[in-house]
Amino acid sequence: MDILVCIKRVPDTAENEISVNSSGSDIERDDLVYSVNEWDNYAVEEAIQIRDKVGGSVTVVAVGDSESEDVLRREMAMGADKGILLSDDAFEGSDGKGLATILKAEIAKGKYDLILTGAQADDGAGQVGGMLAAMLDLPFASLVNLIEASDDKKIKIGREIAGGQQEISEIDLPCVLSIQTGINEPRYVGIRGIRKVASVEIPVRGASDLGLNQDSIGAAAAKVSRVDYFTPVLGKGAEILEGSIDEKVDKLVELLKSKGGIK
Amino acid sequence: MAQLLADRRDVDFVLHEQFQIADLSKHEKYAEFNKKTIDLIVSEARNLAIKEILPTRPLGDKEGCKFENGKVKVPESYHKIYGLIKEGEWIAMSDDPEYGGQGMPHTVAAAATDYLVAANHSFSMYGGLCHGAGKLVEEFGTDKQIKMFLKKMYSGEWSGTMLLTEAEAGTDVGALTTSAKKNEDGTYSITGNKIFISGGEQNLTENIIHPVLARIEGAPAGTAGISLFIVPKIWVNDDGTLGEPNDVVCTGIEEKMGLHGNATCSLALGGKGKCRGLLLGGENKGIKVMFLMMNDARLQVGLQGLTCASPSYLYALDYAKQRVQGKHLLKAMDESAPGVPIIQHPDVRRQLMIMKSYVEGMRSLVYFISYCFDMVSITESDEEKAKYQGLADLLTPIVKGYITDKAFEICSHAIQIYGGYGYVTEYPVEQYMRDCRITMIYEGTNGIQAMDLLGRKLGMNKGKPVKDLVGEILKTIASAKGIQGIESLAENLEKALNKLGEVTKHIGASARSPKVLSAFAFAHPFMEVTGDVVMAWMLLWRAVIAAPKLEKLAGTGPERRAKIEKDKNAAFYEGQLKSAEFFINALLPVTSGKMDAIFGLSSSVVDIPEASFGG
Repeated sequence: MDILVCIKRVPDTAENEISVNSSGSDIERDDLVYSVNEWDNYAVEEAIQIRDKVGGSVTVVAVGDSESEDVLRREMAMGADKGILLSDDAFEGSDGKGLATILKAEIAKGKYDLILTGAQADDGAGQVGGMLAAMLDLPFASLVNLIEASDDKKIKIGREIAGGQQEISEIDLPCVLSIQTGINEPRYVGIRGIRKVASVEIPVRGASDLGLNQDSIGAAAAKVSRVDYFTPVLGKGAEILEGSIDEKVDKLVELLKSKGGIK
Repeated sequence: MAQLLADRRDVDFVLHEQFQIADLSKHEKYAEFNKKTIDLIVSEARNLAIKEILPTRPLGDKEGCKFENGKVKVPESYHKIYGLIKEGEWIAMSDDPEYGGQGMPHTVAAAATDYLVAANHSFSMYGGLCHGAGKLVEEFGTDKQIKMFLKKMYSGEWSGTMLLTEAEAGTDVGALTTSAKKNEDGTYSITGNKIFISGGEQNLTENIIHPVLARIEGAPAGTAGISLFIVPKIWVNDDGTLGEPNDVVCTGIEEKMGLHGNATCSLALGGKGKCRGLLLGGENKGIKVMFLMMNDARLQVGLQGLTCASPSYLYALDYAKQRVQGKHLLKAMDESAPGVPIIQHPDVRRQLMIMKSYVEGMRSLVYFISYCFDMVSITESDEEKAKYQGLADLLTPIVKGYITDKAFEICSHAIQIYGGYGYVTEYPVEQYMRDCRITMIYEGTNGIQAMDLLGRKLGMNKGKPVKDLVGEILKTIASAKGIQGIESLAENLEKALNKLGEVTKHIGASARSPKVLSAFAFAHPFMEVTGDVVMAWMLLWRAVIAAPKLEKLAGTGPERRAKIEKDKNAAFYEGQLKSAEFFINALLPVTSGKMDAIFGLSSSVVDIPEASFGG
């Protein structure tokens, strides 16, 4: 099965203290440390597991500047076979639809049985997967937390639905799935994997390579634009648990049970 | 909290700005380790350390190791992370790929280890000793022994230990009584009891390879008659398969102040007369062979010191920024003044500056030794090779002895900054202090390190390494003298260096005179002042790099301060200048006083009758 996974380079929330810039137009991006979006990492792990089970290949693709090559290489060190960077000044300022348009152009050049995206990005809106499926005219399932790949026509996928229930569906291939965290336990990257991809060339494709014009991508084509960022004022309703650690834990468990968080 | 374990900006600064480590990739041996690859390796080590290993640190501390019927169970959480360390091949990072190593530069391995050890000191020793014991097999093993053992040790499939200490042979290793008798099949029967064996028994690996020091029957007394043997927990057949269990029995584990997750074992060898071993490196060559491992282990212990100090600093720094307590000193009398984070209090800032400057100096020094090994590996000039090897040899007792002494002090400062919370186990800093304490003792106490520096290293190769070290420090001083703003720091370090030169001559001459006992009573203070000057050198070196970069980012005008506060890189470079300024102007004058004491060479330590110690 040939699988393509769309990945994104995002500010690493474990590494950075995220703050809004003084004009409220964006977060402070100076000196941020970036890494691969967490949901995408689960998607890549799932793709690698499927490939290892049924054969085929895993390609990772990212839209971004030259720095995005780092996350592609990282996911290749994890086990993806190939990386493609979609990079062009013309892509800057694209909204979700613009990004889906760019990805679609690349995907249409190849032949993939399965296309995975993360369910959302740390700095995104969870929209690219669905739009991409629509543009490719492929079936789509979101928030997937289980994949059973048995034949090359259909696969079984699972999703968690309200009340902690599991829903299983069959979906025709090729299809697009957005992957939820927790679907697997992503492997760590080892030194050998890093060495293996250290000098692999990662092809870079721009707007003209993909046959895209300015009408559909970039800031000019974007119909959604961010207008403000701010830190919400702390609301009321927070309950501070008192007592010893054990007492606090007991109270927390009680609260979670009463609110339906745990059974 | 943005940074844990080791400040990534600082790690990157040392790797890429101080030592320009990616330049090593110009050499064939390290061709695949370009900057992107190096950064990815450090990122992944950090990722693994923080996400998987760090959470096991308090768990292992509380659970400890369990001893039952000769078997040892390590903390349950260690099994998963040991699997991850093996899977990622993090055990033999800079060793020969032919034997299962990853062939990376030592300096990059040091950066990865910086994170991996800081995340869990106790746990890291299981893998660390696999590597150390494996290195002995690589260097001194026969082709057959290499084939039988090495890949399984470098991969972590089998672990390793070092069996030196006995109840009456600790620092005085030559007093050991474990004996070896040659068998007809070429193996040796080993009999004896060893203590304080880290990882001597555990349930992480299917086999444990023990390098054992023992005396072959009839061999000379003392260290000259000691040989080294490979003693597997389970016998390894010639084809590499496992045979019968060897007669190696764990008779107990120690209850310790710290390092609870690492099993410190007592081992009985040959209690039933059936312990077999293979000679490693020739009869009566044991000490020489073991010293290879010991030197490496001493450097690793220095790195352990850094990895206790660095997180202690970062935790304390974070706490000092968060903890609001007391008013600002300038508003102490203002009833309406709000409380401020304790980082605004001068005494807290003083302690943070001590911690910051030492941690940075230590990191540079630890990486510098690794850099020396990288230069030994790649340089084609015999003279250069000898120079870098000499610098590494000379600085080994400083890395081990000085860094671990100071690391413990830094752990203590962290507890002080946390106040009462620092003393309770709910917060992470007290464990760092407990775990750190052993680093001043094992692999040769710090007193032994000081004696090694004075008695062996100073005169090594007719003093050439000392001259080389002085030459390197003078190069940094010369560069600093040409940079506006740090010239006076250069001059102050130069004065301290000159005085250290005089002290070195004085104590060296005293050690060759009837005052030898007094000289050795001042060996530790001498190691300390040497370490102080080396720290100051490393910090000045950093300042030399930082100053022009800071000027470019923030200029020299009135807007400089505002730019520094806004730009993280500018703030980092300013931090480098302040570390050097603080250490050289606030701490180095104390070193001058300590040097005066060495000049004085008070004989009170030697003269006092034992009865007058009291007690």
